[in-house]
Parts: sequence; C-alpha cells; structure tokens
Amino acid sequence: MLEIKDLHVCVEEDGTEILKGVNLTINEGEVHAIMGPNGSGKSTLSKVVAGHEAYEVTQGDILFEGESILELEADERAHLGLFLAFQYPVEVPGVTNKNLLRQAYNTIAAERGREELDPLQFEDYAKEKLELVDMKPEFIERSVNAGFSGGEKKRNEIFQMAVLDPKISFLDETDSGLDIDALKTVANGINEISDDENAVVLVTHYQRILDYITPDHVHVMIDGKIAKSGDKDLAIKLEEQGYDWLIEPATASVNGEQQ
Amino acid sequence: MENSNNQMAKVKQKKERTFLQDLLNFQGSLNGKSQFLDEVRLKGAEGVRSTPFPTKKLEDWKFISLRDLYRDSYELAADVDVNVPDFSEHYLPECKNSRLVFVNGSFSEEHSSMDALPDDVVIGNIAQLAAEDNDLLKEHLNKYADNNFEGDVFTAFNSAFLKDGAFIYVPEGKKVDTPIHLLNIQTDADEKYFITPRTVIAAEQNSEVTVIEDHVGLSDNKYFNLPVVEVNLEEEAYVKHTKIQRDSREAIHIARTAAFVAKHADYESYTITRGAKLSRNEPRISQRDEEVEFTVDGLVLIDGEQVSDTHSVMDHRFSHAESHQLHKCVINGKAHSVFNGKIFVQRDAQKIDSFQENRNLLLSRKGLVNTKPQLEIFADDVVCTHGATVGQLEKDELFYLKSRGLNEQQARELLIYAFALETIENITVDSVQNLLVEEVRNFTKRQLDSELTV
Repeated sequence: MLEIKDLHVCVEEDGTEILKGVNLTINEGEVHAIMGPNGSGKSTLSKVVAGHEAYEVTQGDILFEGESILELEADERAHLGLFLAFQYPVEVPGVTNKNLLRQAYNTIAAERGREELDPLQFEDYAKEKLELVDMKPEFIERSVNAGFSGGEKKRNEIFQMAVLDPKISFLDETDSGLDIDALKTVANGINEISDDENAVVLVTHYQRILDYITPDHVHVMIDGKIAKSGDKDLAIKLEEQGYDWLIEPATASVNGEQQ
Repeated sequence: MENSNNQMAKVKQKKERTFLQDLLNFQGSLNGKSQFLDEVRLKGAEGVRSTPFPTKKLEDWKFISLRDLYRDSYELAADVDVNVPDFSEHYLPECKNSRLVFVNGSFSEEHSSMDALPDDVVIGNIAQLAAEDNDLLKEHLNKYADNNFEGDVFTAFNSAFLKDGAFIYVPEGKKVDTPIHLLNIQTDADEKYFITPRTVIAAEQNSEVTVIEDHVGLSDNKYFNLPVVEVNLEEEAYVKHTKIQRDSREAIHIARTAAFVAKHADYESYTITRGAKLSRNEPRISQRDEEVEFTVDGLVLIDGEQVSDTHSVMDHRFSHAESHQLHKCVINGKAHSVFNGKIFVQRDAQKIDSFQENRNLLLSRKGLVNTKPQLEIFADDVVCTHGATVGQLEKDELFYLKSRGLNEQQARELLIYAFALETIENITVDSVQNLLVEEVRNFTKRQLDSELTV
C-alpha cells in the first residue's frame, strides 16, 4: 500500500538533513511499529508522509498504491486515505470537533465518491465512533483540542482517525502522556479500527503500547535510517537492552587522538 | 513664488482646521422647537468654537489622518434630498415591534414600531420627546457625554447639531425581554452629508435591557457619521449593548460612548466594526460605585484601505470591579488597525480584576497594526492582565487542518472564522449572531478570493 524508497529529507529552512535513506514497505492489514531514540527522525518521517511543507524531499520517493504522492498537498494525501495522529495536536478554539470533522469527512467523502452526511447523520455516526475511545457524546461539541488534557487530545486523534476511516495511519507517539487506563482505551480503539484493508504505523519511543497492540513488524530508526527490522520480539529486546547495541560505534576522539 | 506657496499653505491649513467650525454659523443649529435642545446645541456650538479639531500632532490622533473629513464639504443630512429604498432586509425578526429607525439621522415613524415594549418603558425619538418637554429626557440627555467627554470637540459637535436620536428609559425593576433595535440607515446621496445621532439609554435600578445599535450604509457614498451614545446604569441594572458598524466603505465614522455603572450593575458592550473607510470608536466606561462589572469587547474586520481605530478608557474609581476587554482585529490588504486601551485604577479602587487583550490577525504583508495598551494603576491590591499580539495564521494549524482533508481555503477560512468567533459568541440575539457569523464568513471568503493576501 505504502512504499517508501530511499527517502532523503532535509528541513527546508536550514537544510539540515534528517532522513538519510529510509526504505519501508507497508501492506494492507499490517501493523508496523517504528521505534528509536529521540531525534532519530521518526516524527519527521510521519510528517513527511502526511505532506508537511517544512521539509524537502531531496532524494527517493513515497508511493501510495503505486503512485508517487510527493507532489500532493497534505489535504490531497488525506483524500487518498492517509492519516497522521499528531504528537502535539493543535488547539483550534472556536471550531467544534463536530464542525471540523463533518467538513473533513464530507470533503474526503466527495473525493472518494462516498455519500456525504448531513449534520444529523454525521452526529449519529460520530457518536458511534466516540464509544471506541470511551469518550462522552458532549466531546464533539467542544472546540478542537482547546482546553483538552494531554490524554483527551490523544483520544481525540484516535477518534478523528475512526471518523475519517483512513487506509493508512501514522500515529506519532500516541501513547505518550497517557496513564495506563487511557493507554488501554486508546490501544483498544486502534485495535478496533484496524482491519484487513487498512494499515497502522505506530511511531513510538517506548514498547509499552505494544503490550496492547501486537505489531507485525518492528523497525528501529537511528540517525535517519531504519537500522533494524524484525517482529514483535525486537521490541521486547529493545525494551530490555535499549538502543545502544544498534548504534554504530561512533568515531570519537579525545585530545585529537583516535580512540 | 515661495511667498505664494506659504500663503497657500496657510490658507489650506486654516481651511482644514476650521471647516467643521465654520458649519456652526449655519442658522440651522437652532430649531426653536425645544428650548432645552436649543440650549444643548448652543453649549455644543460654544464647545466647538473654543476647541480645535484634532490633528496628527496630538498623541491620541497620530496614527490616523482626518484630512478627508476636514478637506471635504459636508451638508446637514436633513437638507439632502434622497429616495429611500426598501431596507427591510435589515430588520431583525426578534425586534419586529421594538425597532426605532432613523434614515439619514431623522426618525422614521413609518419604519419604526415599539408595540412590543411595556408601557412603562419610555422609548422614542429625541426630537419628539424634546418637543414634548419630556422631563426624563431633560434629566438624562447630555449628562453622561458631557461628563466623560468634557473638552472633546466631536462630542461638542454632535451636541451642536443634535437633531434626533433614540431615547430609552427602563424604569426600576423592569426587565425588558425583547431586544431593542436602533437601526440607523444611511442612504445613497449625491451630496456628502453628515449626521450626529444621539442615543441615551437610562436603566433604572434592577432593570434589564438589550440594545442593538446598528449603522447600515446602503451604498458606497461618502458621509460623516458622528454618533454619541450615553448609557447610565443604576444599581443592579443590566444593559447589553451591541453595536454593529457597517457603514458605507467611503464613510467616516467617529463614535463616542459614555457609560456609567452603579453598584452591582453590569454593562456589556460588543462592538463589531466592518464598514467605513475610517472609523474611530471611543468607549469610556466609568465606575460610579463599588462592585460593578463591565465588558467592552470588540471585533474589527477590515480590508482594502480601511482604517479602524479604537481608543477605550476603562475607569475604575471604586473598589471591587471586574472588567473585561477583548479586542480582536482581522486585517487584510492595506488596512490599518489602531488600538489604544487605557485602564485607570484610581487610588481608592482596590480589589480590581481587569482583563484586557488585543489580538490581531494580519492576513497580508501590507496591513498595519498599531497597538498600545496603557495601564495607570494607583491602587495596590489589583489584578490587571493585559496583552497584545499580532500574528498570522499559524503554519502548524493550517497543516493540521489540511491533514484532516480540508483544502487550503477551507482551512484558512476555518481559522479566521474561529479567531473572530470568540467575540460573536457572547451576542445572545440569535439573528444578530447569525448575521455576524455570515459577515465573518463573507469577509473571509472575500479575503481568500482576492489577491490582497499576497
């Protein structure tokens, strides 16, 4: 479904290279976990796939269902069925969840040739999805993320994912800032949404969400590259041993002498 | 040659300074129908003769130019012959029988109706009440404006040409359920004209009233609108005052609002600025006693070469007051927004909780914002928060919305709409709220459709 080929990416503003040749293939029905230490490029990869303008792809390609999406705007990628759950969802005071999501849902529906929903139909549909993340119906009347707790913001992202029904979702540190109960709820929600026709990429620093969502593939990203891929056991090993064993010994020097 | 240039400059300068003062020689400034009004006019005329009109040299006027006002000739609106088109689309359904309409400053009985209002509420047009020698009018008219705008030439000018306006008196204990719509219609006219509407709202003890002051320009002609509003709240009174300024895009609108708030009273004012080439709003709210609340929120939506200036004074004179001011501006094109918000906390005014914020959303590179919050606090036990921000639409916010499937236009529209909505949310008359939501939507669409944002 999604193929990332030798992807090199730098920050447009200052040219700093973040991704240095990422290769990744994700098929329907799969759950992938991308792990790695802070600053390794995990969030950048998610944003680049979603179409963030702050980054420039200098080499490589991203293919979605066989077609390159590099030239597409973020909204066009969303129309195709890409979704990004943000690590830090923005607050939009004055715009209710319901209004944003209905507009988003209908825009995507129109693009995909699906039936659009009127406000009442949408409300029923959205309320059903709220149950997946154990949120009260009043939630959709609140301004998008405004005044939400960290946990509520993360649940809201998964709620949005459920409503928009994407083909592939990148969930950027959706587990961070959640207590154990909220983590279970969010993980259950993700499990409910996953099926044979869509794919989920969990971008995470810790292994703990993987206790509740079993990944088919685990990748470790280090310094802008996938340093190692494996199955769920890799995550367990990472939890026990950390990332150090995967980091290539850097050439260090003390007082100008090679160590 | 040089001499002649100097002379010309002098003549020009003199003309610019005195054009409006010259108008006072006009016999029409007294109409003889009401001795009381004639006295107000004479006093106003004296005030204008003894006070120069402001120029950019004055600190409070340095950001805006009044050249257009001084240079052009304006006629008294009453002398301008116009056809009055159908303007019923501007009626509010909630105010079907609680509406006072003024066409080019003159009361229109034909378009007004006050049947929905209780009998003991005194409501009517000033010209008629003055002709009837109404005691309540005499008691309240010009009292609050004179007090809060002493030495202000524009207030004096409004008095000098005071012809008509709205008078609302709500007696003790009376809660008026129906909002009152003061619809000021400006028609198209070949001549430039000026109007000096006056509004007086006197809310007695424990009374309640909602007033919508609405200025509508039907065309894009040039006129000078100088409204003065006086509001007095006795103990435990509650007045909700919404002002919508949607004058012609060529009009000049200079407005004064003087409000006095007595013990346990609550004055809420929301001013929406959309029209006029140049507009200046000066709300001055004064505490008359302890334990009061007041709100002076504003929303400005301007583009093209519009200029909007708000100079507010929140005067805390006694202890225990809560005041709130959220002034938001959306600026596009070469539009220019000025905000100068003064908060005074006098020495005996302890336990004051005052909030002031001016937030500006600048959509174009050529737009301009001048903002100057001014706090003068002489008491020591007060909480005053204030802040001013000027920003553009955040890239991260746009990306977030786009990643949800909204296109650039939808995303921008939603964010501008959300920014503006905060002020509108507090307006409780549904049709007015809907009208303003629509105004914001149209404004936003126009910004996005045009190339002004480049």
